[in-house]
Amino acid sequence: MMRAAIWAVVLAAAAAVPWLATPTVIQFGINALFLAALAQAWNIIGGYTGYPSFGNSVFYGLGSYGTAVAMVQFDWPFPVGLALGALIAVAFAVLLGLPVLRLRGHYFAIATLGLALVMTAIVSNLPIAGSNIGLVLPLHRGDALFYELALGLLAAATFTVAWIGKSRFGYALIAIREDEDAAGSIGVNTTLYKVAAFALAGFFSALVGGIHAYWITFIDPESSFDITINVKMIIMAVFGGPGSVLGPIVGALLLSGISEVLASEISTLAALFFGIVIVVAVVLMPRGLAHVARWFPAVGWRYFGANIRANKL
Amino acid sequence: MALFGQVLVNGILLGGLYALMALGLALVWGVLNIVNLAHGAFIMLGAYVAFYLFTLLHLDPILALPVAMAVLFALGYGVQRGILGLIIRGPMFNTLLITFGLDVVFTYLAQIAFSADFRTLNPGYAGANVLVAGVTLPLVNILAGGIAVALTVAVWLMLGYSRLGRAIRAASQNLTAARLYGVEPRSVYALTFGLGAGLAGAAGDLYGLVSQINPYIGATLTAKCFVISIIGGLDSALGVIAGGGILGIVEALTTLYIGPTYRDVVSFGLLVVVLIVRPSGLLGRTT
Repeated sequence: MMRAAIWAVVLAAAAAVPWLATPTVIQFGINALFLAALAQAWNIIGGYTGYPSFGNSVFYGLGSYGTAVAMVQFDWPFPVGLALGALIAVAFAVLLGLPVLRLRGHYFAIATLGLALVMTAIVSNLPIAGSNIGLVLPLHRGDALFYELALGLLAAATFTVAWIGKSRFGYALIAIREDEDAAGSIGVNTTLYKVAAFALAGFFSALVGGIHAYWITFIDPESSFDITINVKMIIMAVFGGPGSVLGPIVGALLLSGISEVLASEISTLAALFFGIVIVVAVVLMPRGLAHVARWFPAVGWRYFGANIRANKL
Repeated sequence: MALFGQVLVNGILLGGLYALMALGLALVWGVLNIVNLAHGAFIMLGAYVAFYLFTLLHLDPILALPVAMAVLFALGYGVQRGILGLIIRGPMFNTLLITFGLDVVFTYLAQIAFSADFRTLNPGYAGANVLVAGVTLPLVNILAGGIAVALTVAVWLMLGYSRLGRAIRAASQNLTAARLYGVEPRSVYALTFGLGAGLAGAAGDLYGLVSQINPYIGATLTAKCFVISIIGGLDSALGVIAGGGILGIVEALTTLYIGPTYRDVVSFGLLVVVLIVRPSGLLGRTT
């Protein structure tokens, strides 16, 4: 009960930001919330299920394009477009998840990377999606609305992940991550659970893509299916702590903040910083901030040395 | 029909270069079980080594090839010893992530050091053509394709018959057993990764001859290397040569008959289909 009250206060405080902050802060907040929601969605398939997907940017792109095509080509309202985008992404996750989720490890990662590249190229050739020029969406002013939408989406994704962590569904996903063959042999329907996790991740990623498209009002294949978005999701989730409920959010907000400060100085430096963070984080804290927070107080600085000793050749 | 022959031969020559690009990636993947997402960045750096040797010292790119190889070998050796060696027994996902981080670092350091401008390597013979059996071929493509295939075969022989080659193959088959027979894993791993990076450097040198370069070419080239390694399998250099040839021909024919905008659809589609149908590679051994 106490915890629920604390979360309600945190959420209310976050929701009040558009009435208190400057436009720059609100725009930073929208971007950070989008990335946090994407990282949280990636957490379902990558963190809990242990499948390192590079194809989540495809869901994001399909959500963007589903929304944009519905609004531009058919004059449908935004909520209908958003639903269409999410539907396409879930259908894609189920249809392609069935064959691709049979692959494991590196092979799964590369297959999803291949899918992302194929989808970019296919959408660039579709006239209804504006080919490689892209689409311009109707303008909707008011960053407050988009901020609240992004916050609501992040909250929904986080509640879903919190539920997953405590449910039979989540235990099945964790069992698959730890040992898929063992999970299968004790009666977990691994295919069903993997595809469900993939589709759930696709659902939330597509909603982010759709809302982002309406906010930014212009989309093209290069930016909508950009693999860098996928890599950001992974970095943020892994930096914060994959397979934990709050890790991806903390990782996303922290890295977005640092990156924003650096980008205001020199943009190249911000990109370089991301690369260095990945390298250092993987070497020193391969299990993310959530794991550091649990062990550092007890073990101290030796925590980082122990990580290297455990994994070096 | 003449056009078809022209396109086909060009595809095969490009395929030779692709094979050299992918060989280092396949070697490191097969032996160290590291999927090196920074491989394309190594190719890019090799191209810049050749570019600066040519622009500043007027060294011919063909003569600069050993230098590019040596520089990238040293870089690869250092990266394996100093960074990748620290995490190699961790989860497989961490090696993917860290090599991606290295790719970003190399790309943006290159942008700061070399600027984002497109560069070309233009030795005196850059525009020369050779007429073979009614087919006109750019001399640089023949040179790049020929040298690439020769290097690939040389590496294959080295892996098969030299002491180091046997140590590398032993380490890839069973590290514990190899250790018992006196193979020092740290040095073999670093040498293998260095060799992979050195091959990327050589490929970059030749790539600079046939195409424009800038700091961002790495990611696309890494993706192409995946396609080739997946088609050819990770077992042998000959598989990689065949994989490179197949990709070169498929790209050339798609560009000719379907249109250049569909080239990536076909080549990356091939990657996904081969992975789903035969994950050990179209030509690889099934396990």
